[in-house]
Amino acid sequence: MATEMGRMPFFYNQEGRLVQVDYALQAVSRGSTTLGLKTKDFALLSSQVKPTRPLMEPAEKVFVVDDHIGATGSGYIGDVTTLLDQVRVAAQRHRIVYDEPIDVGTLSRNLSEYLHEFTMYAVRPFGASVLLAGIDHLGVQLIQVDPSGTTFKGSAFAIGQSADDALETIVKGYRPDISVDAAVALVTQAIEGVNGGKSVIEHGIVTANSKRFEHRQSTVG
Amino acid sequence: MTTTVGIRSKDGVVLAADKRASKGFFVGSKVVQKIFSLDGATAVAIAGAMSDAEYLVNLAKAERRLLALRRGYPLSVKESAKLISNIVYSSMKSYNPFYVELVVAGVDQEGAHVYTSDMSGAITSEDFMSSGSGSPIAYGVLEQGFRKEFSLDEARKLAEAAVRAAMERDPGSGNGVDVLAIPNGHSLEAN
Repeated sequence: MATEMGRMPFFYNQEGRLVQVDYALQAVSRGSTTLGLKTKDFALLSSQVKPTRPLMEPAEKVFVVDDHIGATGSGYIGDVTTLLDQVRVAAQRHRIVYDEPIDVGTLSRNLSEYLHEFTMYAVRPFGASVLLAGIDHLGVQLIQVDPSGTTFKGSAFAIGQSADDALETIVKGYRPDISVDAAVALVTQAIEGVNGGKSVIEHGIVTANSKRFEHRQSTVG
Repeated sequence: MTTTVGIRSKDGVVLAADKRASKGFFVGSKVVQKIFSLDGATAVAIAGAMSDAEYLVNLAKAERRLLALRRGYPLSVKESAKLISNIVYSSMKSYNPFYVELVVAGVDQEGAHVYTSDMSGAITSEDFMSSGSGSPIAYGVLEQGFRKEFSLDEARKLAEAAVRAAMERDPGSGNGVDVLAIPNGHSLEAN
């Protein structure tokens, strides 16, 4: 029986775990350190851009999904971009059907259902976790979606390399009334703290006032 | 039914349309908008079935936004016109046509452009253009009045005059004129 199960890695093992999904999460934890932070006034997405070779342009890590929503991810970058396109298309589909911008909850559910399908059959689950930040009628939103399709809502998330240590720095420095500049400084400190010094970090911000997700220069103002 | 007009001038484009929606021999609505903006720099004026027009515009908006996000810069007016004509063409080929005749106008890096497409998807680039049941009358005004060296304001006045002339004699057009003028260099970002 046990050997038979070993031949079906996409099925539950004897401990009741889906090892493929566990491996996918492990792939995420090898990715670059990526943080999300939210207050009632804004949401911030920040991702470390891995050191590049000379003459190479750094990869884009924080993405605009629609006017009011942004995303970033950690794990296999090819998987991240595929998931990104999935949510971009979902956002535009919603505009066609309802003539309204999609809300962040509906978008994360769409992504979660998409990811979940890949845990059911003999295929490789996505080796990427995604952070979504946006604004809708319910306010500023920050959501993490994992390869299993599990979603988490909250005020701060960390994924990728040394995520737990980075999150610890965020937890210590987080205030519900933290300013945008202080938040950028805090996530920079968290990312640089676990990666040994100066890092190239890409930021994206959506504020309750502007209702637009936009890139932000990495220099702390 | 309907009269729409598009004019290209040296410093921008103008779209004009009447506001009547016909239900056979009945005036279904007197306040219909036939000019849709795709973004701050590109717009379409549509004659034909309102339902098809609205759906087509929403579809084009979504496709444009996706492409702009994926590649990092917005579509030119020509690309927008071609995108819409491809949608219209493929639906005609699958025996499910959009009943529309459209004028795509806008400004981009290369300046001002007016394109027109029928429900078969054939597009041409024009200096001025009219479509809908009132177009023969509007063309009379346009052919007489159009000058290549027009300013945006002169183009705007001619577009309105052409639609007003059509409204006088075409029973499918009436109830006022909507005019949209887009000057060269207008923001691509604004919605």
